[in-house]
Amino acid sequence: MLAAFIGSRFFGTATSDPFRTVSSLDVKTYLENANSLRGNVYKVEGEVVNSLAWSASKGRLVAIKVEKGDDVLPVLVTTNFNHINIQKGQRFIFLLEVDDKGILRTKDMTKS
Amino acid sequence: MKRTLAILLASATFAAAQGNVSSEFQNAPQQPAQNPPQPLAPQPAPPQPAPAQQGPAGGQNGGGAANQGAQPNPNAGGSSFLGKDVPFFDPGSNIITWDGKSWNINNNALFEARFEKYLNAPPATSPPETEYQALLQQIMDKLSPGRITPRSTDEAFQLLARASRYQQDANLCDSIANQVYSAWLARKNNDRLNAASGALEDERKRLEWNARLTAEGTKLEGSGSGKSKDGAVNQQVQQQQQLSRELQMQPILTRLAEVTALIRANQLKREVAELQVKIEFQSLIVQHFLQRRFQHALIGTRFYRSIFADGDSQLRVGEDAKNLFSKTSGLPPTMGTIDSLANEILRDVHEGVQAFKFLLSKNELQSASKRLAETFMIGEYLPDVRTLDREDKRRALAFVQKSNQLISAIEVKDFSMAEKLVKEMSESARDFDVSKAMAAIETAKQISAMHIAKARNAAVSGDKETLEAELKAATEIWPRNPALTEVSQMIFSQADVQSRALVDFDQLLSQKNYRQILDDRMRFIAATSMYPEKQEQLRKVLEDMQVIETSIIQAQEIEKRGDYAGAWESAEKAFRNFPDDNKLNQVRANLTTKAADFVHAVRQAEELEQKDQPGSSLAWFLKAQSEYPASDFARQGVERLTKKILPDAS
Repeated sequence: MLAAFIGSRFFGTATSDPFRTVSSLDVKTYLENANSLRGNVYKVEGEVVNSLAWSASKGRLVAIKVEKGDDVLPVLVTTNFNHINIQKGQRFIFLLEVDDKGILRTKDMTKS
Repeated sequence: MKRTLAILLASATFAAAQGNVSSEFQNAPQQPAQNPPQPLAPQPAPPQPAPAQQGPAGGQNGGGAANQGAQPNPNAGGSSFLGKDVPFFDPGSNIITWDGKSWNINNNALFEARFEKYLNAPPATSPPETEYQALLQQIMDKLSPGRITPRSTDEAFQLLARASRYQQDANLCDSIANQVYSAWLARKNNDRLNAASGALEDERKRLEWNARLTAEGTKLEGSGSGKSKDGAVNQQVQQQQQLSRELQMQPILTRLAEVTALIRANQLKREVAELQVKIEFQSLIVQHFLQRRFQHALIGTRFYRSIFADGDSQLRVGEDAKNLFSKTSGLPPTMGTIDSLANEILRDVHEGVQAFKFLLSKNELQSASKRLAETFMIGEYLPDVRTLDREDKRRALAFVQKSNQLISAIEVKDFSMAEKLVKEMSESARDFDVSKAMAAIETAKQISAMHIAKARNAAVSGDKETLEAELKAATEIWPRNPALTEVSQMIFSQADVQSRALVDFDQLLSQKNYRQILDDRMRFIAATSMYPEKQEQLRKVLEDMQVIETSIIQAQEIEKRGDYAGAWESAEKAFRNFPDDNKLNQVRANLTTKAADFVHAVRQAEELEQKDQPGSSLAWFLKAQSEYPASDFARQGVERLTKKILPDAS
């Protein structure tokens, strides 16, 4: 009985956060100085609150409300994820790279 | 008669005043007081040229040689007497016209000066003056037509010398005495010429007698020879007798012709000498008359009549001088005319002085002054005028001085002074006619006021050209108008205020203190009204301030609703355009604290955008938008950065 509970918990977590080994983005640091985070990859979980723009060549720029706190971050969902329907109110876990302009580019994403 | 006198005397006064009276007589034969000795004894000299071809004096052209001498030089270009024409006096307007110029007798410097001098002079009642007048009266009495005798004439002649010793006589009696003496000498010479002529007449008679006897003796001799029987011998004898008779007659006839010529020459000399003396005497009398020395003119005429008692009283002076009497008085130019005119003037002056005294007693100073001025002009040297009481004259003087001041004030357009004088004169003189002066004053005042009103309007409307023209016109009409000074001061003070306001405006503009400009906008609107460039600057400032004020009001209204972010954004928008407005700054600062998170987000976003960090900048704008979804700053920032991140976004 106990083994079954621990197993369920272990597998259950393993299936909901595929990027559990990646550290979460420190939103406060990002907002204060994104340059210090350039080149790093973080994960961010949040809810899509707005679709800001879409480019056929570069992908979709969406605003997500970070799960922890009230901060809203812009995330560029590249064309690699065109197959994923992204709609307002959906929750995702993003694997994001901070590029040289401080833009959060999606390296991977999954529904949470 | 009075009018005639005035005309004549006005002319005479001016003639005398100009000192040109004697010029008329310059062409008359001049003769020293002592006549040169005339040839008295018959001499075998060639006959003197006969100067009087027209016959004896007294005819229509009786002037003879003297008259010819008194004629103006035909080459002189007209009369030289008193300029080019005879002075004309219009008693209706008191205007004298002479040589192309006109004077009012009451308003010319010459007359004014003399009249004022007279009015200030003490009365001529001192003992010497009284004695002098008594002497003149005595002389005239001794020469009066009813009393004149050779003895009284001699006595009068002696009194002339006494009278001439007085200063006020100016040696006029002396000149009369000289002329009388010259006339007497001439008469004496004539007596001697008459004596010589009598001797010559006797000689002529004797010669005629001798000639007649010689002729008769020849006849006797001729009748005796007729008895001869031999005709040839008789004829020869007759021829010899004829020759002898002719030889005897020849010297007698020659001498007779000489004597006759000498008699004729002496007769002509006597006539010429008498004529010359008459002309000189008449010239002196006319001169005294024109100098308004009427007592001396009377004395002269009476002496003249006593000396030349031949009934010939016609004036033998130049045509212009004769015209002066004949054309102005309408009387023939004779010594009688001068005598009667002089007497008439004496009476008229006496009447004038009496009228002056009466008018003065009635406090009618205007009429009194006019009468005295007229009387003075005619009878300046007559005792009635000279003996007037000084205090009476001073009263007239005060009025005359004010009259002259009034004329001057009106001439120089000092109407304030003129009005004051009119008031004073109307109070002091019961008969003073204020209508003419007041009409001139009021008319000038009204026209000046109209121009000043126009100038004021022009000043208000900024019409410089009209302002200057109207001020100039007002100044020309009434230069010392007090209202003109006030308006000028007002305009100048306005100009001062205006220039100060313009300086302030420029200063505030350079300080970007538009709020102060807004607060003083009325002053600056007025000040810049005549400066289009500054007007444009002011217009922009006021428009900007209107925007600021609207933003402030809008921010305050939004703040009242509790929308601090919205209120701040409204103030911030205005602030970004007008960062120097203190009031706006204050409002914005207050709202910044009230919408601190939103303001912080916007400022961070903008700061990062400037640092080319579109990612985090966009994050801040999104944060701001989440704080205040209606924010224009956030919306515009998001759009701007989105475009930057995805330039080809649709």
